[in-house]
Amino acid sequence: MAQSSALPAEQYNYDIVRKFTIMAMVWAVLGMSVGVYIASELAWPFLNFDIPQLTFGRLRPVHTTLVIFGFGGSALFATSYYVVQRTCQARLAFPWVAEFTFWGWTGGVALGALSYVSGITQGREYAEFEWPLDIAITLVWVSYFAVYVETIRRRSQPHIYVANWFYLAFIVAVALLHIFNNLAVPISLTKSYSLFSGVQDAMTQWWYGHNAVGFFLTAAFLGMMYYFVPKQAGRPVYSYRLSIIHFWALIFLYMWAGGHHLHWTSLPDWVSTLAATFSIILLMPSWGGMINGIMTLSGAWDKLRSDPIMLFLITSLSFYGMSTFEGPLMSLKSVNALSHYTDWTIGHVHSGALGWVALVSFGSFYHLIPRLWEKKMYSQTLIYVHFWLATIGIVLYITSMWVAGIGQGLMLRSFDDYGNLAYTFIETVEFMHTPYVWRALGGAFFVSGVLVMVYNMAMTLRAARREQADVEAKLAAKLAKA
Amino acid sequence: MSDKTANTQQSSGTVQTTGHAWDGDLQEYNNPLPRWWLWCFYGTIVFSILYWFVYPSWPVGDTWIKGTGTVDYTVVDKGTGKEQAKEYRWNTRSLLLEDLGAAATDPQRKAMLAKVEAADYDQIVKDPKMMEFVRSVGKGLFGDNCAACHGRGGQGVVGLYPNLTDDDWLWGGKMAKINETLMQGRKGFMPAFGPVLKPEQLDDVAEYVLTLSNEAQPSEASARGKEIFQGQVGGCYYCHGADAKGLPSQGSANLTDKIWAIVNIPALKTPQEKQAALKTFISNGVNNTRVMPAWKDRLSSTDIKLLAVYVHQLSGVK
Repeated sequence: MAQSSALPAEQYNYDIVRKFTIMAMVWAVLGMSVGVYIASELAWPFLNFDIPQLTFGRLRPVHTTLVIFGFGGSALFATSYYVVQRTCQARLAFPWVAEFTFWGWTGGVALGALSYVSGITQGREYAEFEWPLDIAITLVWVSYFAVYVETIRRRSQPHIYVANWFYLAFIVAVALLHIFNNLAVPISLTKSYSLFSGVQDAMTQWWYGHNAVGFFLTAAFLGMMYYFVPKQAGRPVYSYRLSIIHFWALIFLYMWAGGHHLHWTSLPDWVSTLAATFSIILLMPSWGGMINGIMTLSGAWDKLRSDPIMLFLITSLSFYGMSTFEGPLMSLKSVNALSHYTDWTIGHVHSGALGWVALVSFGSFYHLIPRLWEKKMYSQTLIYVHFWLATIGIVLYITSMWVAGIGQGLMLRSFDDYGNLAYTFIETVEFMHTPYVWRALGGAFFVSGVLVMVYNMAMTLRAARREQADVEAKLAAKLAKA
Repeated sequence: MSDKTANTQQSSGTVQTTGHAWDGDLQEYNNPLPRWWLWCFYGTIVFSILYWFVYPSWPVGDTWIKGTGTVDYTVVDKGTGKEQAKEYRWNTRSLLLEDLGAAATDPQRKAMLAKVEAADYDQIVKDPKMMEFVRSVGKGLFGDNCAACHGRGGQGVVGLYPNLTDDDWLWGGKMAKINETLMQGRKGFMPAFGPVLKPEQLDDVAEYVLTLSNEAQPSEASARGKEIFQGQVGGCYYCHGADAKGLPSQGSANLTDKIWAIVNIPALKTPQEKQAALKTFISNGVNNTRVMPAWKDRLSSTDIKLLAVYVHQLSGVK
């Protein structure tokens, strides 16, 4: 068996992984900064300066698109291309198609953001791209699928590693979701109408929306976890059996749960019930991934004291466990009656997005960068600084949204002695100002952590480049002498 | 492949890996499923199956499992006021009926509503218990229906929506009058004088109006303006009255009370600015910009009566 660390530059295509890694960090800085800005707009509304392009309604999809598809998507492309090559011991298939996925994806995200700022949107959450961009994204995605499957087919390993099941499930499911949710009738280059109508349209949208969370933000990042956690820990995955059971359970159950986004609407009660119960059954399969990740470290807990990358990965799994417990809870109709349409939902999403998705990506990148550029990270201390800034940011964010969301939910359903509503809507808005300020602060902490990482990464890359220039200069001098 | 198996201490015994290795050192233990995990998983499935029989769930043919859950609620007949207890299977609609029935049959609320309906305005204002009820109902009614324009505290927006907390009422501030305003809505109107008067005349009228509230000293210009205001050329007195105190029947503003609802004169610094702003306003008039909708088809007459008392007490007048 060839030693995988030998001559990686020739054995594997790292160029595409490097490109996606750098773009992931670019999108992280842009997308999360927009997030802090719109969070500040909610706390201090004057910040929209009456400029339509700067208003919350237009910047919000810019934020979600840049962080989910820009940052999250690029991180998944980078790690999946890395993982599939290394675990299959095969060079990435169709290099030019892979190159196309990079330019196509990056261009699609950028154009999408620009179109939202100009007010061009389908108005479907997390699927705001208008139809020409939807078609472009479909092409990119099919190319991704082709590259991925062909690389697995060319593997020189008899078995397919668990990380690849998750990545592949993500690629297949997202293709399905993207195509069906975006079926529309175009009336011009920038405007289309959904093929579905009424509650069926809403149901299709949330079938998509919840599975975007399930497959894009959960299954795919579990794939990332299944490679980088055991690699970084230097220990085998805890349980192969658990990985099979929770994989199939997760894949089967997620598809049913989308209706819980439409509790207490015109969605028929029976659909609502099924969505709630499937969300409950989903709890343990979700936790299977957390158990498998955290227990991998069992017997090597001391690594948490000495390895900041392990700290990122294990903390991300803890937030994953927390938000996949919170989700089923919120999907129960009675809890949802309080939480729906409040900021509790926003806090829940961010405990998953910041705590799980972003932290597991950062941890994986800290593992990846030294291997991609063959240079140790510039500063170990700055990784710790990043970890603490991120963790403080997440805790501030989640707790302030619990206060805002649960507080508003309770205010809206409290009655006085005469059975009249005790609070008007505007009083709940006034109440939320303070938590909104704390939320913006939490976001600012998180972004500053990302900036620390970008600095650390830039210094590492600079050192790597300088070293390479030195080697080349020495080589040239030797050649000149000879 | 079995030559690559590794042993280690996991849970209680010795656990083997699956024997596969990827990327050098990536392996998997073959630990069994954690018992607690498995039992919790079965637990959620059992919970869900029970849930499916209590609440509406699986579709079967062209119907669906309706569930054993039921909701008790009370229906109040709008005409006769008769209450009737009912029971229906659990669904979102019967829950709504339960809430509506509970609100309609709350004894304390019913008693207070009957009392307020029977009382006249003076009786309501004099009774602290009834006023407490007015404030309880009025806060929600005002917050949900009026606050969007008049502001949460009724403070209004200068130039757009009248302030309801002062004692300056364009259409009359008696509770019966406020009730009338709420029922039928109001439409403020003042003709545009730009096409009627010459620019110098507009200057003069503006100067005169400013003197009425001590925003300018009487001068030759204001004297000429007064002639236009009080005479046939301008005819301003038709609506604003010879004393310029406004006529509630016309919704015309009192120009002498230093309360400026449309042009924010006190906020302007120099006399020139004040005069120019007022002149622009007089030239353009008010047309379709100060409209209050009618509420008689949206709120019940009792709600409007309660709101009239609530709005009246916002101004602090007894």
